[in-house]
Parts: sequence; C-alpha cells; structure tokens
Amino acid sequence: MRKPTNFELWFVGAAAVLLLVILPGLNLTPPGTLLHVSDFTINLYGKYLCYGIVAISVDLLWGYTGLLSLGQCLFFALGGYMMGMYLMRMIGDLGQYHQPIPDFLVFLGWSKLPAFWQPFSSFAFAMLMVIVLPALVAMGFGFLAFRSRIKGVYFSILTQALTYAGCLLFFRNDMLMGGNNGFTDFKFMCGYDLRQPAVQRGLYICTVLLLLGTYGVCKWLTNSKFGKVQCAIRDSENRVLFSGYATAHFKLFVFVLAAIIAGLAGALYVPQVGIINPSEMATDKSLEAIVWVSVGGRGTLIGPVIGAFAVNAMKSWATRAYPDLWLIFLGSTFILVTLFMPRGIVGLPAQLGGLKKRWLNRKPVDVDPAVTPKEAELAKPNPK
Amino acid sequence: MKPLLKFFVIPAGWLLLALAAVAAEAPSGDTPAIRQQLVQTILSSGADQQKLLGGLSETGSKLVGEVLLSWSRGGVYLYPASDGSQVPVLLEDSQDATGKARAIRISDGQFLKDNAGKELRFGDSELTTADTDMRLRSTIRQTLDTLDLSSPDMDTRWSAVTKLGNSQKPMYVPILQARLAKESDATVKRAIQEGVASLQLNDHDPAAQITAIKQLQALNSIGNLQTLQKLAADQKSDPQVAKAARQAVDSIQSHIWWVNFFGTLFRGLSLGSILLVVALGLAITFGLMGVINMAHGEMIAIGAYTSYVVQNLFGTGFAFSINLPFSILGKQLGFGLSLPGLNATGWFYQSYFLFVLPMSFLTAALAGLVLERAVIQFLYRRPLESLLATWGVSLVMQQLFRMVFGANNVQVNSPTWLLGHCSLNDISFGYNRLFVIGFAILIVLGTWLLLTKTPLGLLIRAVMQNRSMASCMGVRTTRVNMMTFAFGSGLAGLAGAFLSQIGNVGPSLGQSYIVDSFMTVVVGGMGSIIGTVYSALGIGISDQVLQQLLGSPVLGKIIVLTCIIFFLQWKPGGLFPVRGRSLD
Amino acid sequence: MSQAKKFILTLEEVNKSFEGFKAISNLTFYMDDGELRVIIGPNGAGKSSMMDLITGRTKPDSGKIEFGFDTDLTKLNEAEITRLGIGRKFQTPSVYNEHTVFENVWLSLEGSRSVWTTLFSRVTPERRERIYQVLKTVALDGKADWKAGALSHGQKQWLEIGMLLALNPKLLLVDEPAAGMTDEETHKTGELLLSLEGKHSIVVIEHDMTFVRQIARKVTVLHQGTVLCEGTVDEVQNSEKVMEVYLGRKKKH
Repeated sequence: MRKPTNFELWFVGAAAVLLLVILPGLNLTPPGTLLHVSDFTINLYGKYLCYGIVAISVDLLWGYTGLLSLGQCLFFALGGYMMGMYLMRMIGDLGQYHQPIPDFLVFLGWSKLPAFWQPFSSFAFAMLMVIVLPALVAMGFGFLAFRSRIKGVYFSILTQALTYAGCLLFFRNDMLMGGNNGFTDFKFMCGYDLRQPAVQRGLYICTVLLLLGTYGVCKWLTNSKFGKVQCAIRDSENRVLFSGYATAHFKLFVFVLAAIIAGLAGALYVPQVGIINPSEMATDKSLEAIVWVSVGGRGTLIGPVIGAFAVNAMKSWATRAYPDLWLIFLGSTFILVTLFMPRGIVGLPAQLGGLKKRWLNRKPVDVDPAVTPKEAELAKPNPK
Repeated sequence: MKPLLKFFVIPAGWLLLALAAVAAEAPSGDTPAIRQQLVQTILSSGADQQKLLGGLSETGSKLVGEVLLSWSRGGVYLYPASDGSQVPVLLEDSQDATGKARAIRISDGQFLKDNAGKELRFGDSELTTADTDMRLRSTIRQTLDTLDLSSPDMDTRWSAVTKLGNSQKPMYVPILQARLAKESDATVKRAIQEGVASLQLNDHDPAAQITAIKQLQALNSIGNLQTLQKLAADQKSDPQVAKAARQAVDSIQSHIWWVNFFGTLFRGLSLGSILLVVALGLAITFGLMGVINMAHGEMIAIGAYTSYVVQNLFGTGFAFSINLPFSILGKQLGFGLSLPGLNATGWFYQSYFLFVLPMSFLTAALAGLVLERAVIQFLYRRPLESLLATWGVSLVMQQLFRMVFGANNVQVNSPTWLLGHCSLNDISFGYNRLFVIGFAILIVLGTWLLLTKTPLGLLIRAVMQNRSMASCMGVRTTRVNMMTFAFGSGLAGLAGAFLSQIGNVGPSLGQSYIVDSFMTVVVGGMGSIIGTVYSALGIGISDQVLQQLLGSPVLGKIIVLTCIIFFLQWKPGGLFPVRGRSLD
Repeated sequence: MSQAKKFILTLEEVNKSFEGFKAISNLTFYMDDGELRVIIGPNGAGKSSMMDLITGRTKPDSGKIEFGFDTDLTKLNEAEITRLGIGRKFQTPSVYNEHTVFENVWLSLEGSRSVWTTLFSRVTPERRERIYQVLKTVALDGKADWKAGALSHGQKQWLEIGMLLALNPKLLLVDEPAAGMTDEETHKTGELLLSLEGKHSIVVIEHDMTFVRQIARKVTVLHQGTVLCEGTVDEVQNSEKVMEVYLGRKKKH
C-alpha cells in the first residue's frame, strides 16, 4: 500500500495463474513426464498455502494493527477441529472398532454419540462452526483484552497463555475431542474419497481460492478508511482515541476477522494433512507463524505468503537433508532475518537499494525507518 | 550415578573405612552376655524358660531375633558335647554336596570343631532339634513381637510399636506401657500412647473405652479414624462411648482438614518459590529491560545442564563429541570435549551441589552476555522483534543441548542432604521443598539488595527507566545493559540448578516454564520485583489449592490462566503497576 | 441553577493525585460558551493534568467535571469525549507519521466513527473539498500528499490544529501550540486561534507571554493544582500572588 502496487498486482496475478492453472494442470500430466508435478507436491503446496493464509491473518493483526498475537494457531486449530469433527463422523463405521461412533469414543467407553457431536454429521453445520467457534473465542478474549486496554507485550503474553490453555484443554481425554491423538484416519468428505488424488487436487484449488479471497478482502480492508484507522492504531493508539475512534471496537473487529481467516485455513488444512491434534495449538506453532510474516515482510499482504512458503520449504528441505541440524538452520534464519532484514524478503529490494547509502554512513540496524519508535513504547507498561 | 556404583571406583583405603563404619553400626549391648542368656534359655525348661524368654525381649538385639525365629521353626539343634553337656547350635545356610552344613555355636558364634580343630559338618537329621511346644512357640512369637521395642534404632522401635498398636490384642497393653516408662524419644512415645489407646478401644469397660477415645482424640490419631467411625456408627456400643467416638471423629476429621490445608499451602509455597526463582530472572530481563527473551527457558536449561556437568566432574568425568554432516577434503567435521573427573566420594561428592550454584550462575550469565552482545543489543528499540530473534536463539540452543547431552533426560542426583523429609504434626515437609523456599528468599533478598542498595543497582534502574537520558548523564549504558542482562540470565541459571534437583533435566526443560514465568511477571507488574514475588506465590498457591479441589492438575492450570486473564481486566498493569505521567 | 447553562465547561472541587503527589487540588473552573481562555502557570502547576481530566485520559479522585448541558465527563472515555465535541491538541505534536497529510485530516473529519462506516467510507467530493479547506486554513494544502512524518515541527503543530478543526469541536483544548515555533510561526498561530474565537470555545495553555498577550482575553493562573487568580493579562501580571509564584518574590512592603 505504500508504493504503487503495480508490481504487487503482477506478482499476485502471476502467482494466481501458476497456482490455480499451471500446477494442477501439470499434475494431470502422466507421471514420469518432464514437467509432471506429483500428487505429493500438490498436497505439500496445499499445506503451505494454508500456512500462507494464517500468515496473512497474523500480518493483519501485527503488521497492520500492531497487535502481536502469539495465539493465532489456536484459531487455526479450532477451525481444523471443527472440520475434523465432521470428517470423523464421515468415517462412519469404517473405523478399527466398526462402530457408528469415532474410535476414540469407543475406546473411552462411549456407546453412543455425545450430544454436542450430533450436529457435526452435517457439512453445513460444521462449516458454520468453523467460522463461529474461532470468532466467538476471539470475541470473548478480545472483548476482555481490549476493554481493559491490554496492549503491546502484555497482549502477546496473554494470547500465548490463551493458546497454551487451549492446548492443555484439548490434551484432556474428557474433552471428548480425541485427547492426545486428536482426529485422524479420515476417509470421506462430502461423499468424496479423501484418498483420491483428484479430491486432494480439488482441496488444493479450494485453498488457492481461499488464499486469493483472503488476499482480496484484506487488500480492500487495508485500503479503506478502516485500514487507515488500523495503521493509525498501530502507530499511535492514543492519538486515535483522541480523534474519537473507539479503538477497542476496531481492534476487536480485526482480531475476530483474523480468527475467522485462520479458522478457515485450519478447516482446509485438516483434510489435506489428514490429522489434527492439540500440538497444532502449541505455543511454538503460533511463534512459527509470526516468523513466516517476519521473514516474508510484514505490513504487506504478499510478504506473509512468501514467508510461509519460504520458511516451510526450507524446513522441509532441512529436515530431510540435515535431520540433526535443521533446528539450528531455522533458528539462525530467524535471528538473521530479524537482525538484518527487518522488512523481510519483500522489503529486500528497497533495502538493497539503500545499501550503498548505508555503507557510506554506517549505522546500527535499529534505526531503520520501517520501524516506528512507537513500537518501543508499546513495550512500556500500560500507564493506567 | 547411583551411590552404590561408587564402590567400583573407591580406592582401598575407602573400603577399609567403609568396613569400619559397618562395624561401628553393630548392635550395642553386651553380645557375649546375650549369647549366654540365649543358651541358658534354650537349655532350661518350664516356668524358668518362660521367664528367661521375657528377659530376652528386653535386649532388643537382632541376634536374639534371628535365633528365636530359627528356634520356633525347629532350626536350633543340640549337639551332645564330649563332656555330656548339650551345646545349642545353628546350621549354616549353605550346604555342601552331601547336604551337610557347618554348625555355629550359639554361645560364641564360632563354628563347631572336633578336637583336631577340623570343622564339623552335619545333615539336618543328624542332630536333635531343641524342642518347642505350642505354649513355648507362642511365647517365642510374643517375645519376637516385643523384641524390636527395645531396639536401639528409633525407626525399628517405632514400627514395632505401630505393629503392636494395630494388632488388636489387648494383651500387649502392659508391655507397651512398660516400654512407655523407659522410652525417651518423643515420636515413639506418641506412637506408644496411640497404640495403647487403640488397643484399649476394644476394652469391655465403657469407661476405659471412653478414656481411650479421649486419648486418641487428643493425639489426633488419623490411623484410628476408621475404627472410631465404626465405633461411632455401631448400634451395639454404649451410647456414651458412641458419643465420645463421634466427637473424636469430628475432631480428627477437622485435624485432617488442617493437615491437608497446611500441606497444600506448603506445596503451594514451594511451587510458588520455584516459579519465583524461575521468573525472577525474567522480571529483570523482561520486566526491567523490556526484552522479551524467549530463550530465557534455555538459560534455565543451561543452569540445569551445568549441574549435570559439575556432578559428573566430581564423579567420573564428562565427555561429548559431535559429528557434523559436512566434510572438508574427505575429513568429517566435528568437535568434542573430554574432561576427567575427580572421582570424589562421600561428603566431598555430596558437596558438589555447593559448587553447582555459583557455576550455574556464571555459565548462564556468560551465555546471557554473549546473547546480549550478539543479538539483543540491536533490538532494544524493537522489543516485539526481540521476541522473534530470541526464539530463534531458543531453537538453536535446544538443538545444541540435544547434540551435546542427548535427546533424553540426563540424571542429576540430589545430594543426600536434600532428600528425605521431616514431619510436624502429621504435615510432612520435604527437605528439597524447604530448601527451595529458603533459596528463593535468599535470591530475592540478594536481588533486591543489589538493585536498591548498590551503585550498580542505581545505574541499572536509571538505564532501565530512560536509556537515552542515562546515556546523556554519562552512564555507560552499553555496559549496564550487558551487566543487567547477564545478571537476569544468571538468575535463570540458578533456577535451572535448582530445577535439576526436583525434576527432569532435558533439552526442553526451559520450555515448560516459559509461559508460566511470563505470566508471573505480567501479573506482578512489569519492572516490579516485589510484584513478581507476590504473583509467583499467589499463582503457586492457587494452582495447588485448585489442584486439590478439582483433583486435576490440568484443569487447575487452565482455571489459573483464565483467572489471570480476568485479573488483568481489573488491574491491567499487574499487581504493582509502574506508574508514569508520560503521554504514551 | 439557571447559571449552569451558560458554561460550556464546569470543573468543581476536582482532586487528583498520583501516588501521593497532588497534581490537582480543589480545582474549580468555569468557562463560557465561545470564550477564548488562556491558562498559564509554572511547571507542575497541573495544566496538563487538567487537560487529561477533561479529556478522560485520567479520572478524578473526586469532584465534578461537566460539559455543556450537564454531560458528566467523568463517566466517559477519551473517544466518547472527543465525539461529544471536545478536541485536544497535545503538547508534543502527535500526528500519524505514516499517513499523508490528507489522510491525517480525513481520519479526523467529523462524522460517524463506527467500525461499519469506516469500512465503507469513501472520499466524496464534498469531503475532499472540506479537507482542502481545512488544509488551506493551516497552510498545508500544498503538502496534502506528504507523509506527515516528513513535515517540520511547526508544520506538524499546524497539521494537528487542522485535525482539530476537521473535527469541528465545540471546545478546543490547545496545549502549548507555540512550543518550538519561530516567532513568525507563533504569530501566525495566534492569528489562527483568534480567527476561531467565537466559532469554538478555546482553552489555550501557554508559557510564551508575548503569545499570551497577543491572544488572551481572560487569563487563568494555575498553581499547585488549583486556580491562583483569574483576570485580564494586565490584572494577572500585576497580581502580587502571581509575582510571588513566578519570581519567588517575598512581599517587600
């Protein structure tokens, strides 16, 4: 939004064509051909794209509104769980125990379906819950947090505690949500066999469409007056209050919207990956999402997606190539990116352009104009 | 390393000392006299024998117990000596190929030999057994039961008393009472009183029963609660007795409530102290400096691993080697380290923990120093991003731990003086829990003194309040930042040294504490040491209380987290907010 | 009390302390509709604290703060108070540095401020005209596309005043508008404020006595959180109490 968005438009257009037409097309070519894209790759990209959507939601909060949420993966997992419940119902009696209820319930000694599981046989209801549950949780938490003007570091720590609590809760067997193991062994979705490559390809295309939709909505949002207020909150929340805006409402709106986006991404992630368990809510996952945004470039809408792709691609490669060292790679990347690429991959051209100037007049990295001094103040305790 | 394994490495001199120690622990009392008494008892008969047996029970000797047990099982034999007298002997357990065993004289514990000095061997049937009848066996059993009452070891006496007290046999009452007169130890005395009263509950005289009940009530006897409840509910018992029993039950139940209450409080206090020790370092780096150090947990782990290394240096040494998956000119890259151990034992080995404390502090402080110089100094103006970079550091460090120390937990032994517990009025206080409380008090006090009473503390507070202003005033902020961060990290290291004593030490040790410690600092109010103290204790105690009430640690934790979120509604700045009049 | 209707702002017996320090003590202050009032006072006299109390930044420990017809300000938050029509300019210029000058004014334009309306709000020709009108008033119409962060200190001060004007408030609270300005800029600022007199009620906090002389009709002197005296500039400057406070002079005669 800062620069004319010609390049961004071209980039998004090209990416859309590549992801939506070329890749699925190449997937259809017979295996063994030069340009063939394997089912595995399609599946992997689907996963990355889901991460990309989460990354956009993180950036909407962090890059645009100054709210560093360390709990975004809670909403991702909640959306995933809602979809997972539907998929569990669709297994029918094909489970290990050949009972009409999910295996883990049989294992826990249930003979019939608990009441709250009943409506999840309906796809429509499950999809509704994919949106409603993360939204409700975000609304409840956000209402409390923003009402008492918890911000900056406090907000980050609290969201971390929130996802930690969620993680602990879902680990419990008596939540009747599969406990430690979560949901897995999915078979059907809307009557289609999930194990078919064509179905996976369909899910992949849905993911691309969701990503493009999310991008569009966020683009429109951040360019509207609302987006201006959003950035104003990030830069000087108190000033916005004195312009007469109830900042709490704006933050709540963004927080809930980001939760819904993350929830939708989670719902598409689960049938593609085939499993959802409480470790998706672990505090680490949310931190990772922050890293995607940071690596890609925050305050932009393409940055987070690029970051999610880059980091996960590197992770996939490093875990295979150097199983003992990949955490060190990953960790070092975060350190280096934070220190030397504060505007991420997207900001790299601009940064390289300014390199010569910086070389002549060397200064520590922390005077980069992309970083507002306001952030330093966010960390200060709430004066109230 | 288990203490037993030490025997493989201790030099011969130590072995001698160890043997001497065993010798010194042999039962006190005049052994030859006891042996004579035993021989006399076995050889006599009728009323004399009964009386002599009674006398034996007061020796408290282990030997007596062993011989009497064999006797009652027909394991004592009579060897007709050449002078016509009978010599009571025991047969050795180990037999030779012909099923014969050497005989041990009870009178002096030596092997029986013939005139030529050759050891004699007998089969089971070759010797007459020293006969016992029903009555004698019952007396022997009784003697055995009461023998331990006179044991010089307090714990043996205590368990003997408890056994008799729970035996429901009123005949032991006089024996116990006789022992009570001689007993000097307060714990055993109390146990005897409890036992006597418990036996008297079965008395047929309601008055005696009531006295016993009153006694049990006065002693708050938890062990007899069930019996008393039965008595209170029993339709057949005397109404007075039932009434007294009901009162006693109420009284004991309320005692139990208090015991649980204080027990929970104590556990909460010690959990709070752990939280406090863990969060104190964070209160400095995060609360004062505003740096979100996600690698704080790894600083704790450094402290814990330091204790492991120091322990091993006192033992057999420490070594590791790592192969990197890269090679240059065909040579594989890697690095390693091998340190010889001191092979210490005994008190010297046990004292390793005293070295652990300063070492963990220094190691973690050094790591903190490096981290501050390498990463954090560039991010003071971007606190939210310090979170990301330090998280990267945390990942790297966790992996390094895995490579150096292995992915599994390592074993850190507590020094013996940290094991065990003492109990006061039925509430048990573990020494390690007591230690953590004392430890927490000390380091909080130390930190507080450092921050408020020393020139360095003044500089730290000045820099933390306004970095640029302090810099203008000529304070060398770079140095102060460095020192402060190192100090905070050092405190985390100390916490790690402590955690190594009460839990597992593994690569992700720090991760399990990081959320809790951040919450503690936030609830306490950033930058307030006293706030951190209150919030750590508050969170620790409420966690334990909720765990007790709900019976589930996870649910308790979730409720605590929820409560914290609501608490911040009420006090967004924490317990002790640092107020300012500045605009933002 | 028929009298109450005359005042646009009423503070009665207001007290506020910060950790034992009494910033405001028994402050009683009335202001007429359309008045331009200057508040002076030494450092720590409670001028900014008073502004904080009026705008809801802090809540009083006790006392009454009312706006216009019996609107109790102590119950409202900053945003609500702003929407009532009380605009505040801060001591240090606070504008949105990352936004353009145009956007700064756009965000401050009077009108609904709900989430919903901002989502669908567009810059209509009327709004654009109004924004440029405001920018012209503060002489920034040539820099509408500049980022506010790139403006000079004085220009930021003016932009902030412009943002206040866009809000079209009934009551303007202006905290040291001339701080850091050149003499010429200060004079212009004074003229600007004078031109607003009558259309808005204005409270100005100022140290610069030349500036005060230029704009002041009625001056209130604050000292130690309470009103020391009120009157015209001359009256105030000749008041013995004021001299004593400002110059530390003991009574000589």
